Amino acid sequence: MTERRWALGILLALGALAFLPLSRARDDVLNFVFLILLSITLAQSWNIVAGYAGQVNLGHAAFFGLGALLARVLWIRGTPIVVAMLAGAALATAFALLIGAPAFRLRGAYFAIGTLALGEILRTTVNNVLPEISTLPAATIAGYQLRHRYYLALALAAVSVVAVTVLAGSRAGLGMQAIREDEEAAEASGVGALRLKLTALALSTALAGLAGGLFAYYHISYYPSHPFGPHWTFDALLMTFIGGVGTLQGPVLGAILYVVLKEYLAVRWVDFHLLIFGALFIAIVLLLPGGLVQAAERARGLVGRRGRRPL
Amino acid sequence: MLAQQLVLGLLIGGLYGLAAAGLSLVFGVMKVLDVAHGELIMLGGYAAFWAVAIFGLDPFGSLALVIPLSLLFGVVLYLVLFSFVVRADEETRVKNSLLIGFGLALAFHALAVRLWTADERSIVTPYGGSVILVGDLAIPVVRLLSLLVAFLLIGGLHLLLARWRWGKAIRATAEDWQAALLTGIDVRRAYLLAFALGTGLAGAAGTLVSVGYSISPSIGLEWTLKALIVVVLAGLGSMLGTFVGGLVLGVAEAASAAAFGGPYREVVGLVIFVVVLIARPRGLFGR
Amino acid sequence: MLEIRDLDAGYGDVRVLSGVSLSIGPGEIVALLGPNGSGKSTLLTAIAGLLRPRAGSIRWQGEDLTALRPHLVVERGLALVPEGRRLFGSMTVEENLELGAFAARARREQAAGLERVYALFPDLRGRRRQLVRSLSGGQQQMVAVGRALMARPTLLMLDEPSLGIAPRLVASIFEALADINRAGVGIFLVEQNVQAALTLAHRAYVLESGRIAAHGPAADLLRDPHVRRAYLGPLAVHG
Repeated sequence: MTERRWALGILLALGALAFLPLSRARDDVLNFVFLILLSITLAQSWNIVAGYAGQVNLGHAAFFGLGALLARVLWIRGTPIVVAMLAGAALATAFALLIGAPAFRLRGAYFAIGTLALGEILRTTVNNVLPEISTLPAATIAGYQLRHRYYLALALAAVSVVAVTVLAGSRAGLGMQAIREDEEAAEASGVGALRLKLTALALSTALAGLAGGLFAYYHISYYPSHPFGPHWTFDALLMTFIGGVGTLQGPVLGAILYVVLKEYLAVRWVDFHLLIFGALFIAIVLLLPGGLVQAAERARGLVGRRGRRPL
Repeated sequence: MLAQQLVLGLLIGGLYGLAAAGLSLVFGVMKVLDVAHGELIMLGGYAAFWAVAIFGLDPFGSLALVIPLSLLFGVVLYLVLFSFVVRADEETRVKNSLLIGFGLALAFHALAVRLWTADERSIVTPYGGSVILVGDLAIPVVRLLSLLVAFLLIGGLHLLLARWRWGKAIRATAEDWQAALLTGIDVRRAYLLAFALGTGLAGAAGTLVSVGYSISPSIGLEWTLKALIVVVLAGLGSMLGTFVGGLVLGVAEAASAAAFGGPYREVVGLVIFVVVLIARPRGLFGR
Repeated sequence: MLEIRDLDAGYGDVRVLSGVSLSIGPGEIVALLGPNGSGKSTLLTAIAGLLRPRAGSIRWQGEDLTALRPHLVVERGLALVPEGRRLFGSMTVEENLELGAFAARARREQAAGLERVYALFPDLRGRRRQLVRSLSGGQQQMVAVGRALMARPTLLMLDEPSLGIAPRLVASIFEALADINRAGVGIFLVEQNVQAALTLAHRAYVLESGRIAAHGPAADLLRDPHVRRAYLGPLAVHG
């Protein structure tokens, strides 16, 4: 029930953000909010497979990259961006289903390092095959509208929140959480673990592919291997864990905190945020596995108890 | 030309073996998967760089300073972080250590960028340019010396584990930590020693990397992956086997670079890794 | 010597032992009987310090063992030969035995300890450089007992030493236990082979569903109709 309430709150906030471009906000503000929205989508997509199904996918960037790759090519050749993004997502999901069954033979940490290696294979290969920088045609740059990117990002963030909300309340979502807690016990009680893990991976990578398409739509020029870089996975992981892995609101809170702090700190020290988030992340793994969400619940619990009065 | 490539592959393979030995020891004994191992190598490289720059030590001589420093750093890391990780049961331990190592890797990387900038560096030696000519083959002296030092270190580690009282205790702990407790071994101390040794080996590997090759703050992930590949290739339990696994990876990389072109040298190891991993999902890292 | 009072222990949500009390005097041989799953191994594990009890006390020569880490329990003179032997298979016989003398007190007498073990199990002397995993089950059990003896225990605890071993070797293991006891070492024995255990032991306890169901002199229990029916009768199939 609280999940529904959070979903409603987040969607209302996203709705309010739709008015931001109308207020003649400066471009840097829109760019900043865009980054947060993209991060929410990416973190939420990672959260589906890692937070709900319990499979720490360290090759997530590969799916983000595949989505970006195909969407960029199709879009530059004249395909409408939404169609191009959907095609990119389809490619990412197809690849996920291809590697899913063998990869899920690996459990726990082995799945994590296996997917890390897969992601690196893809990144290196793309870097070798497409070493040239990808730049938009001059005509496209001339007609570049930041607002279009902004609204698309807003829509995508909303889609990711709705997707996770629906998933969390569904039978499939409950099955995934059972797998996360104890895969053998879940299988023993009739949960088809492989099928559900593949479902989670498909959903997660489709969202990641869409986010990749958004990246391709947003940036004027970048190396095609850039969106395959492992830091995309690491960002998603940090945001999700710091906010609260396996919750709806956690990745949203984590993404906001992460981007805000990153941009703020970048002024004084490049990558300083990684030192802080690296340390924070370690502390969370050891002391507060539920992230900020758990911290807030604990704090509220204390306040609630203190505030209650005997009748 | 091919022979030249293979020789260079063999030479760097020794460092892969050394890099993997530390990871293998820590994982085998503690069931802790420290993915910050590559960053420890990176830090060792910078320590050597500064030992040479400040004290004017010979690059290989700097090992005498870097190894003890790394051992000490390993002790601190264990006491501050990993001693908490090893209290969990085995599955949680592997998963948490992976996550914590990952956080450490990010933090060390950011710290290194801050302290030493993102530039590549390598230690310049007076004998850096010398080569030994064997027929058509040109063998760089520094890299040959690195291979030799790597071999000596692995050999030393092997003897330490075979002969030293605590070396045996470390092996016993790796095989069955509960049985080790029952024989009166303080398993936590065995963990501490194994982790310190693993960090010391990473420091040594970093020194050799910065002498024969180059270092930058971002080499960590690459070296962690190399070490993981070798561990999967060689299995756990034998340090000499790990060294041979490193040589095999170095040669395989060189061969695939020759066959598919230089940019693909990284891919072959990763493909081997994924294939072996999936073929032996449970018995991975097995003996 | 060993005094256990109202011990509760278990794993996770499962309570295995409830209110177990027992005592073992110096130089005594005490057998612990009971069906599979009654908590015998759990009790030994708790004494050895591998499992922290939820309630109750385990006192050894007046000291509370539950506060000690397991390697210190060995140091105090309690050694356990665990179920399934748990030897270091990739090491030699002699390395396994040396590891048994890891505790500081035992290390000083390591050479004498090795001599004592080889005198007790002459089979092992010729195999000292052999890897343990290449030995037969019976020989491995000898190494396991030898490893525990190397710690110079005052009380030797054994969990199912006859399990999976040829009958001829079982007899020689039990003879060795009698020898060890004659040298003054107390023995606490968990054993499915009830006849052999009760013949060797001075006293025995019967553990059923985590509680002590009966105890007394071994000779009395050997005649006790309930024990006979449950553990010695023709219909008794345990293990």
